[in-house]
Amino acid sequence: MATVAPLTPQWVLDLHCPPPVKSKQSNIPDPIGYTSISTSKKQASTKTVRIPPTTEETDALKLKKAWEIALAPAKQLPMTAIMMYMSGNSLQIFSIMMVGMAFKNPILGLMATNQAFERFESEGNKNGLVVAKLAYVGMQVLALALGIWKVNGMGLLPTTRSDWLAWEMAREPLERAIPAF
Amino acid sequence: MRLPISLLCLTLSIIPNSRAIFADDAYEIDYHHQLLGIPQTHATFFHRPRPLDKPTLLYTLSDLGVIGAVNPATGEIVWRQLLAYDKVDRPGFFRPVEGEGSVVSAIDSRVDAWDASNGKANWGNTFAGTAKDLEVMEKAAGAKGLKDILVLFEEAGKSTLRKLEGATGNVAWEFKDESSDVPLQVSTDVKSVYLVALHGAWGGYNVKVTVLDPATGKKTTEYTLSTKSDVHSAEDVLLVGANSAAPIVAWTDKTLKTMKVHILGKSGEQSLPLKEVNGGISNVTIHAPHLIQSLPHFLVHSQSPTSNRADVYHIDLTTGSITLAYELPQLVGQGAISTSSQDANVYFTRFTEDEIIILSSISHGILGKWKVTLEDDHGALIQGIAEVVKKASDSYAARSAIVTNSGDWVLVRNGAEAWSRPEGLSGVVAAEWAEIPQFESLVKTLEEESHSNPLSAYIHRVTRHIDDLRYLPGWLEALPVRVLNSILPIEVGTQNTRVVTRDTFGFNKLVIVATQRGQVIALNAGNKGSLVWSMAAQAMSSGQKWSVQGIFVNNKQGQVEIYGTLGDRTILNATTGEIVGKHEEADFKPISAAVAVEDESGTWIMPFDLQGKSIYDVPSNLAPSDTIAVRGPDGDVRGIKFEIKGTTTEQILQWSFLPRSGQKITNVVARPAHDPVASIGKVLWDRNVLYKYLNPNAILVTAIDDVASSASFYLLDSVSGDVLYIATHEGIDTNQPIPSALTENWFAYSIFADSLSTTAALPGSKGYQLVVSELFESEFPNDRGPFGAAENTSSINPSDIINAEPAIPHVVTQSFMIPEAISKMSVTQTGQGITTRQLLCVLPGVNGIFAIPRTLLDPRRPVGRDQTALEAEEGLFRYKPFIEVDPKYVLTHKREVIGVKDIITSPALLESTSLLFAFGIDIFGSRVSPSAAFDILGKGFNKLSLVATVVALWLGVIVLTPMARRKQINLQWMS
Repeated sequence: MATVAPLTPQWVLDLHCPPPVKSKQSNIPDPIGYTSISTSKKQASTKTVRIPPTTEETDALKLKKAWEIALAPAKQLPMTAIMMYMSGNSLQIFSIMMVGMAFKNPILGLMATNQAFERFESEGNKNGLVVAKLAYVGMQVLALALGIWKVNGMGLLPTTRSDWLAWEMAREPLERAIPAF
Repeated sequence: MRLPISLLCLTLSIIPNSRAIFADDAYEIDYHHQLLGIPQTHATFFHRPRPLDKPTLLYTLSDLGVIGAVNPATGEIVWRQLLAYDKVDRPGFFRPVEGEGSVVSAIDSRVDAWDASNGKANWGNTFAGTAKDLEVMEKAAGAKGLKDILVLFEEAGKSTLRKLEGATGNVAWEFKDESSDVPLQVSTDVKSVYLVALHGAWGGYNVKVTVLDPATGKKTTEYTLSTKSDVHSAEDVLLVGANSAAPIVAWTDKTLKTMKVHILGKSGEQSLPLKEVNGGISNVTIHAPHLIQSLPHFLVHSQSPTSNRADVYHIDLTTGSITLAYELPQLVGQGAISTSSQDANVYFTRFTEDEIIILSSISHGILGKWKVTLEDDHGALIQGIAEVVKKASDSYAARSAIVTNSGDWVLVRNGAEAWSRPEGLSGVVAAEWAEIPQFESLVKTLEEESHSNPLSAYIHRVTRHIDDLRYLPGWLEALPVRVLNSILPIEVGTQNTRVVTRDTFGFNKLVIVATQRGQVIALNAGNKGSLVWSMAAQAMSSGQKWSVQGIFVNNKQGQVEIYGTLGDRTILNATTGEIVGKHEEADFKPISAAVAVEDESGTWIMPFDLQGKSIYDVPSNLAPSDTIAVRGPDGDVRGIKFEIKGTTTEQILQWSFLPRSGQKITNVVARPAHDPVASIGKVLWDRNVLYKYLNPNAILVTAIDDVASSASFYLLDSVSGDVLYIATHEGIDTNQPIPSALTENWFAYSIFADSLSTTAALPGSKGYQLVVSELFESEFPNDRGPFGAAENTSSINPSDIINAEPAIPHVVTQSFMIPEAISKMSVTQTGQGITTRQLLCVLPGVNGIFAIPRTLLDPRRPVGRDQTALEAEEGLFRYKPFIEVDPKYVLTHKREVIGVKDIITSPALLESTSLLFAFGIDIFGSRVSPSAAFDILGKGFNKLSLVATVVALWLGVIVLTPMARRKQINLQWMS
């Protein structure tokens, strides 16, 4: 390939020397008459080593993956808890942002529960996936609880009597006296 | 999730640096009328405080018992001393010590000598009895030391004459007259001391003269002048001339036809004829010099209600004969005469309605005559004193201090007014706030428009707006001044003091005051307490004091109703001071209380007689449905109600409260009429709530026992008469003032407690104590007491159970030591009650007003330990038993406000601010922001720099906009 007549046009060179085949993601079939050497090699090797996994195996694998996703929020919990503890209970920009995130993430996660498990869904693992989903929801609720705990610590929850004081009325006396002193 | 209002409350309650008064506010927000009272002619004089220097000061002892020195050039007070106020009826005596830098006063039982230049006490002495006369003795020529003082006392109907040493005030000698003669006056000449007394029985007296030796006080001789038919009381003796070369005693016969004059030390008396005056002589006075070196001349002044005339007499010292020198012609008006002397010369100054004439006692030639031009409407002249100075051989100058019937003290220098002092403002007995009346026309027209049909309403509105355009030029004219005023720190343009309008902050309010002289005066609190109008509402004879039961202001009608204790009633227009209505004197019935009651038609005033009964028969349509709490005739407090019987009503006693036997009720206080509470609970550090016990009907009764030296404080419900709380203190000085105040859910009182030796406990502290009690519905947080969440309460039937006990509040009490006596307490008021309250205390010892913040007086402050961080968050800090008079909480700062009787407060439109007004002898007013002025820009706010910044930014934008636009366009073309 190195000895090519200098008059050979560029496109001829390109034709003789095609660019290396990129790993294919798409299922587009090769054009007619094109044979890829590497592909054929690879096919030959897999044909020899691996047998395609059975549906059960795929399902088990998917379920395993689904559990990983379900438990992912729990892994963040200790970290979040430490940060919340560190940021203190005063009303500052940092702690307010922390609290905002602590509420935003679990709520968004809860809303996207089905999307998160969509790709693992199949006919066979439906029941197992429900358990994983429940675990996922549970974890998100746990994260949300952490946020609420923080908000409570900051005194922003109307849990005490003083928060409702403004709606309490003074007792109206039925009789009035006019002092003349 | 805290709510704005409770958050605000909490924030306000814990602001630590809420100062009472800032340095840059002093003299700006407060005003003070430094007053003396109406000067008494016989105790007013010009005197040189430093004998070697020429300048003189004007000294006076006023009718309120205040002595003071006034700079005659400016009218400013140099010094003042309050000797007695509200204690003595006798006016007292005040004399200069000629040739020495001191002045001497005698009032009631005390005699004091004061440094004439600064008013510091040289010495003071108190004796038994009351002072009847005071004279300064002339010392013999060449004698060393200071001049001695002669004081005549009346002690249990007998006279005692004491000579006090001029340097120390110690008694040099004492002469007691054992006979029960009425002591009159004391007089001296060079050789002897004369004690003049009235001898005989009631209904006719002889004049008894006792001659004493000035050195030893031994009686040398005694003689009696027969005057039995003419002299019936001490007032009938016209004059006992003092200290002159020839002191005289004079009296007139009953018909005022002749006058008898006796020269002390000489025998016999001479009759001088009194010439007829138009309208008949009603009053005769004698004016004589008071200096020993003065010529022995005197002037007899005869007054009728319409005109006056005078005669000048000379005494021949060798023969003792009295000759008429010349006569002064009769002039219209009562007039007044004053004597002044310079060296041996004696000058008489004659005041007429519009002229001042000075004459020498020697001849009838007029030395000076000036037409008096007063700048303001001071009213007619009543009395005056003058100082005549000989400038050159034939030119004289006169300074006259004149009291006018509007109560002004005016200094006239050669006929021109130099200054005037509004002394009529002194001696205020009652005061009340009034809103500035405002035309409600706009509100009315708007109402009209809302009722008519849209088209005609629209046309009406357009025409009204066109009509309003005529105010536009004036408004535009005033605009630059308004803008400048709001930007610049100094005021531009002057305000018209007589025209008062409301302002946006509610600082402009009228204060209606009633003085003991029967005068009603309105001041504008927003304009440094300037006078708005003044009106003589009641004619008071001398010595009589107007006692006012209450001033009731009807802001809707713009009227002021004043009730006197004698039953007199005056209605005035609040804007102009015109008297709208007045009670006939025949209808007068003494009243013990007056109260504003409401019925369907509006508010009216119900006076009560001394028996605690309504003076009027109350018709059924006017009868108040509420219980009225009054002081009863037997020293009790009672609740009364009006029961409807057909068209009339019957007064029914609901309850009556008498303290423990031996105690008498001295004071009853109720919550102020305007006492809003923003939050019904107190938020604790753990965010639980302690509910306040808020009973609008609560009253605090103070009862003292003089014998057992105890004082009890009873908290009553004034609807049912139930006793809610009792506190008793033993070992109390009951002669000291025991003021109290009740507001919101707490009350405070001050006592002087002695240290009691008990076996049970350690002795308490001796001194003035301030006790603060706070009432809660329950001692437990989050508990609303026995009534729970009930919406209504009834004092008479607290619950469904028959004869149930009332809800008793949980009381937390703490006492504090204070270094000063408190004579009166009051509490600040604000519009919504969001701002914390301050306890305003009058400290008579330092002549000031002390505002104690509520946080300092919190009874829940931790005792014996430091506050925790959470408690600090709530605003509690460690209890310290001693409250210092912190200068930054003294609202009067450097001012000396004397004789304060009471303080009244009123809310401004700004929630942060409460107006206060203190009255008595002086008048003081200020604004307080107990939780700092959170809704108004302070003086430190630089409006000018703010405006400059905005303008600079605006200019910057204008300059940069085209540049930026060009750059952006270029950028688009380039790419």
